[in-house]
Amino acid sequence: MTIKRTTRRHSMDKARITTAAFCGLLLATQGCTDLSETPLSAITPDNFYRTEQEVLGGLASIYNGLQGSLWGYYNFSEITTDELIVPTRGNDWFDGGRWLEMHRQTWTASSPAAEDINGTWNNAYTGIARANVLLGVLPDIAIANKAVVDAEVRTLRAFYYYMLLDMFGGVPIVETTEIAERPRNTRQEVFNFIESELNAVRGALPLQWPSDQHGRMTQGAADAILASLYLNAEVFTGTVTTGGLQRGTARWDDAITVADRIINSGAYSLAADWHDNFSPDNHLSPENILVVKSIAQAGFGWNEHFLYRALHYNSGAGGAWNGFSTLAETYYAFDTLSIQTLPVPGTNRTADILISNDERHKVFLAGQHYHVFTGQPVLDRAGTPLFFTPQIQDETQAAENEGVRIYKWPADPNFTGQWHGNDVAYFRLAEIYLIKAEALNELGQPAAAMQIVNMLRERVFDPDKPATETTQAEVRERIRKERLFELAAEAKRRQDLIRWDRFTLPWAFKAGGDPWRILMPIPQTQLDANPMLEQNPGY
Amino acid sequence: MVKVRHSLIAALGILLCAGPLGAQTPTGTVTGRVLDRSSQRPLPGVSVGVEGTDNVTVSGADGRFILTNVPAGLRRITASSIGYAALQQDVTVIAGESANLEFMLETEALALDALIVTGYGTQRRLAITGSVATVNADAANVGVISSANDMIQGRVAGVHMTVNNGEPGAGVQVRIRGGTSISASNEPLYVIDGMPIDNVPTEPRGIGIDSDPPLSRNPLALLNPSDIESITILKDAAATAIYGSRAANGVVLIQTKQGSPGAVSIEYDGYIASSTAANTLDLMTGAEYRQFVQDLVSAGETRLATRLANMGSADTNWEDELLHTGITHSHNVSFAGGSQSTRYRASLNYMDQEGVVISNGFERIQGRLNAAHDAFGGRLRLGLNLSSSHMINDYLPYENTGGFEGGVFTNMVIYDPTRPVMFTDPATGEEVFYEQFCTSTGCTPQRLEQRNPVALAEQVADEGKTTRTLGNVTAAFDLFPGLTAQMNLGADRSNGIRRTYLPRSSPVGAQFEGRARQISRDLSSLTLQTFLTAQRRLFDAHDVELVAGYEYNEYSTNEFGAEGQGFSTDAFGYYNLGGGNTLVKPFSWAEESKLVSFFSRANYSLADKYFLTGVLRYDGSSRFGEGNKWALFPAISASWRLSEESFLQGRWFSDLRLRAGYGLQGNPAVPPYASLITLGPGGNYVFGETPVTGIAPTRNANPDLKWEETSQFNVAVDWGFSDNRFNGTIEYYVKNTSDLLLEVPVPQPALVATRLENIGKVKNQGLEISVNAPVLTGPSLSWQAGLVFAAERNEVVDLGGRTSLQSARASGQGQSDTWTQRILPGHPLGTFFGPVFTRVSTETTAAWVPGQQLFRCATASATCINGETRQPTGADYTVIGDANPDFTVGLNSQLNWGRFDASFLVRGEVGQDVFNNTSLVYATKGAVLQGRNFLKSALDDGVGIDEPAIYSSRWIEDGSFIRLQNLTLGYRFPLPGLNLRQDARAYVSFDNLLLLTDYSGYDPEVHTAAEGLAVRGVDYLNYARPRTITTGIRLAF
Repeated sequence: MTIKRTTRRHSMDKARITTAAFCGLLLATQGCTDLSETPLSAITPDNFYRTEQEVLGGLASIYNGLQGSLWGYYNFSEITTDELIVPTRGNDWFDGGRWLEMHRQTWTASSPAAEDINGTWNNAYTGIARANVLLGVLPDIAIANKAVVDAEVRTLRAFYYYMLLDMFGGVPIVETTEIAERPRNTRQEVFNFIESELNAVRGALPLQWPSDQHGRMTQGAADAILASLYLNAEVFTGTVTTGGLQRGTARWDDAITVADRIINSGAYSLAADWHDNFSPDNHLSPENILVVKSIAQAGFGWNEHFLYRALHYNSGAGGAWNGFSTLAETYYAFDTLSIQTLPVPGTNRTADILISNDERHKVFLAGQHYHVFTGQPVLDRAGTPLFFTPQIQDETQAAENEGVRIYKWPADPNFTGQWHGNDVAYFRLAEIYLIKAEALNELGQPAAAMQIVNMLRERVFDPDKPATETTQAEVRERIRKERLFELAAEAKRRQDLIRWDRFTLPWAFKAGGDPWRILMPIPQTQLDANPMLEQNPGY
Repeated sequence: MVKVRHSLIAALGILLCAGPLGAQTPTGTVTGRVLDRSSQRPLPGVSVGVEGTDNVTVSGADGRFILTNVPAGLRRITASSIGYAALQQDVTVIAGESANLEFMLETEALALDALIVTGYGTQRRLAITGSVATVNADAANVGVISSANDMIQGRVAGVHMTVNNGEPGAGVQVRIRGGTSISASNEPLYVIDGMPIDNVPTEPRGIGIDSDPPLSRNPLALLNPSDIESITILKDAAATAIYGSRAANGVVLIQTKQGSPGAVSIEYDGYIASSTAANTLDLMTGAEYRQFVQDLVSAGETRLATRLANMGSADTNWEDELLHTGITHSHNVSFAGGSQSTRYRASLNYMDQEGVVISNGFERIQGRLNAAHDAFGGRLRLGLNLSSSHMINDYLPYENTGGFEGGVFTNMVIYDPTRPVMFTDPATGEEVFYEQFCTSTGCTPQRLEQRNPVALAEQVADEGKTTRTLGNVTAAFDLFPGLTAQMNLGADRSNGIRRTYLPRSSPVGAQFEGRARQISRDLSSLTLQTFLTAQRRLFDAHDVELVAGYEYNEYSTNEFGAEGQGFSTDAFGYYNLGGGNTLVKPFSWAEESKLVSFFSRANYSLADKYFLTGVLRYDGSSRFGEGNKWALFPAISASWRLSEESFLQGRWFSDLRLRAGYGLQGNPAVPPYASLITLGPGGNYVFGETPVTGIAPTRNANPDLKWEETSQFNVAVDWGFSDNRFNGTIEYYVKNTSDLLLEVPVPQPALVATRLENIGKVKNQGLEISVNAPVLTGPSLSWQAGLVFAAERNEVVDLGGRTSLQSARASGQGQSDTWTQRILPGHPLGTFFGPVFTRVSTETTAAWVPGQQLFRCATASATCINGETRQPTGADYTVIGDANPDFTVGLNSQLNWGRFDASFLVRGEVGQDVFNNTSLVYATKGAVLQGRNFLKSALDDGVGIDEPAIYSSRWIEDGSFIRLQNLTLGYRFPLPGLNLRQDARAYVSFDNLLLLTDYSGYDPEVHTAAEGLAVRGVDYLNYARPRTITTGIRLAF
């Protein structure tokens, strides 16, 4: 086909020049003024999405937005909370003040962090727009698995709407490809749209894909989004005013129903080793339900891998950014076996290093840092042994060793450039259990909830150390802690804190926040582009 | 072409009035002398001939000439010379007798009768109703002129030119009456010998060293400046409208030299030049750096104890190591001649330019052949202009913008001055470049964030080669007396290749085990113009000229690249990509576009007193949306020659003209296919463990996409005293640009977050004054001076309802996504926006400690005390500078004293602000904590070592300057042993000899590579500008 096209083009060239020559003699012909355009190295939708292979290419581009969400959506889900801070370290990480603004919750619709907010908005909506293009042409093309593709694309689109709902509240629901100014739908409408879409398509999705298609949308993935939707229903269907959140209707029963559907589907089981969920070959983990896929190949992995945000330049993974750290209070929140007080090299200070019997505490890098592959001690850029301290003295002038790092997804020994093979799960079975536990407890069944909690603890404590809370209030606190321990750095914290009315409380390097900050502002860029959008309260 | 047209009109004259000449007419002789009108000096080498015949001679060293065998009767004698306006005189030749004539030639710029190239034809200067400026190429061709642009600098009011930096062959940014577009191109249209040039980079970009690579070099370098006869700049809409959609930024018409009838003339001119960096950045020396660390440790800074112990013992000034004296030499040989009917000129040029930084340069070899032939008694006139050039660009791996790590210049600033350049590898005993991976056991190459800058310059190979051929043929045929058909067919083809190798042994190549890439770019454009010209004098005093024609332009671009990584040796360089273990996917793209036009112009003049010009151009471009592909660009202009009116005749003025014009122009600078949804590879994902190349939309459709439109109103007074020896122009203009092409965010959901739309308005208005005056005149001493002055005001009027657009992303560590400018309605483009710096704190309060930077704040709060804060928020950001000058001036002067001549050019710009991004990032003592060096100016700024670099008004500096751009001293001397037309001149020339400014960086004249829309006035680690001394000689036989 290509060859034919080239040949035709060549002869057209000649024809055009001849035509032009005649035009020059003022013998007006059609060719004198023909200005139609046919792109050469790009294609137009008119002649694309015709074969299964082409549809797969379109599908990949819709999935691609999941990788993009690991920057904007991920960062806002974590840095705005007590799990992460990006302190300014000398000349590093000031970046106009955006990172501190995120942590301090002082962003506005046009402040430096607004660019990231805008990126988050655009990333989700680009996925939606791409989905709409493919859904638009799907009815007219003949491919074998059309119903599955349709279901898959709509599930993905629902997930992008879920991210928008979580971040911004009500947003325009659009199912066509037309670019137009549109008003916002209400939060309830977006909630209903996601719910009805997922319920409509889940039946068409496979329970599991063959291993060469692993990572595509499944019934489990659709159910996991639904479970999270129901878990957060009070927030997601609530109303936000400058005074804060007025909660909507709880959907605990639905959360349990959907969670059970996943648990009983037979498709998932808890990984024997908790760390298997994060390792470079974690696509083999039986626990991960909805993942962002990565392989260690340029252009196909997680290039802005979380490990780079955390690790030090000298950590050994081909450079790193030495930025994101956790707060001391989060580091110390875990079960404690003992505390070691160690001198911090290059200073007169000491640091308290926590020794925990909780396997999940091992994701924290504290104390002397070691090369991620060779295990050799690492020096900082001044040549001093690099020792990560839990305390950050001053978030505006942090030293390069300050702050404990979260290293949950270990570096892939086969990494290329900065591409690593670890998948990142947005939903894994452990969370589904915790959703069920939280719902059970809220429905007044704390004992049943604790059973689930202790089943998860069993895997990560040796010897086993079951929790013993009994009252609903105690169990509520226990579940909240377990979600922190189990899901730290998995982009859940913002949502959790909002659901628990804790998002705007003070914590380290952050004064108490405005109650309306549980919704992000619609970025000024978007308000300018679409004047029909109305800003969230407070901004 | 000028000459062709001269003879064209001459031939026309003969056809119309003379009739066939008798074969046996008796003959006489014409003798005489040619003098320069202003200096009264004899002019040698002037071609003097009898019109309509091949009877031509050349004036001797004393300016005298003899024409023999001139048929008796009324004859028209023409004297012409390059740089002077041709002059005709009628003489009655009596058989067997000698008639005497004296020609007083005027330099072309002053002569009202001179023919000026105005696009699709020529016009007499006095009949021009638009704003047109000319540059006499011979006068401007001084010093090291590597590109035609250099000849314009400082010589034409309202033309602002900035060379990107001091890199050899560096690109230039030319602005005629300011930039009118925010995101489309602001470069003028270049037309070389009637051929519109697609002025895009001919070479692809290289591999950036962790940031953007150097800018592409100047595509106009294809022209040999010695071949240029004249440069005409069309400034206002009345003058440019004939070029329609491409004319919104002005038009630069370049005419190359043509042969003239007479004996063969041979010329050689050559020069050798030596360049050094005109300025340096003041960095800490090794000893100072060591002392600084020592002092900090003594003061209790324990974090640096280890660093102090591990410091090197060298004292390396990395800037000195990178700078050297660059030698440039250029040789140009040409010969020209011909008969009245066939004329030719051929030239060959070789130029080799070294940078003032090591390991980079520019080399060019270029040949040109221009020929013209008249047939059928002058009724058919053919012309050929053909040039081919081969350019080799040796690039330095530095960065224009940049983040955390970097290339040569970043590392020049940050690299530890206590480290040596070279190191003896203990493992092999070999002298190698020192890198941080070198220890007492040897050097193991790996990726490093700090790289020995000398090693980067020497080890990284980055080369661009371009072969470009530009040629056109022209034909003019007189269908009837007064009606001429013309055709111009031309082609411009270039093949450029960029080859880069990052070696294994370098910290930038180690992570890839060697990375080699080749990209080739082929550009081709084709032009066909056909037009009819009718000229008629009606009722004695009414002159009418009509031009109507059709033009077709076709452009195509092809790019192909491939890359190899994982080499076992550095020996292959970039020549054997397959020698690597890993081949990166090759990439290629292609695009085509067309521009089709119909144009017409009518000139009317009454009694050489009243002039009226109307232009209509109808342009169609394939790049726009269906339904918006075509647009009409009209213009009308008039002038009134007051000095010809009886009430002014014989008084003060020798010339006084009033001109006014109005017109529309377009800017089609959008990429091909910009109105269509296109899909391309992108948005990859992984299914299973298998990569799937995503196909994603790369553009939103915009069927409404159309031309950016500029309307311009221009009013001017041209004046001259005492035979126009004093002359000048005052012009005022208003340019309103609407339907700006802007890449703006679109309502979501959208396939891509932004779309190219026609939104908003920008207004430019300005005043331009130019004056030429003879300070002294005399036969042996003359002194001519010219002054140009321009003041321009730019204002963003509207952004389609948007409150602002962010622009000019700052470069450097810790500056990610820091926008430094805003495009705001009511403010000019290039408006700096940010917090206002107040001081560095010296006291401790609840909100700050000593050594922290404080800024103005608007609303009192816990962090805003007495109007000061260290955490400025969005509300505290305000306008903190304007990158536009209040006015610019250029002063040029030419002195002749006997055999000596001297000329100078001084340029000044006043009132513009420059953002010193280099200081922002590198004048921070905190660099020491990362083992980096910094600018010495940080030593006593009172800022603590933990304080980050924060963009604020602190880094906005006054960029006013006065520059002695060029000073040239020359001496003319006779060549011993030769006589007649001999001419030799030796000269010494100084470029950038003196710069007066308060600006603290390298040079306040900055070209901006910063990311964003319409960025102006940002200075980040530019390649230092050179100061150059040139000695040259020009010989003509």
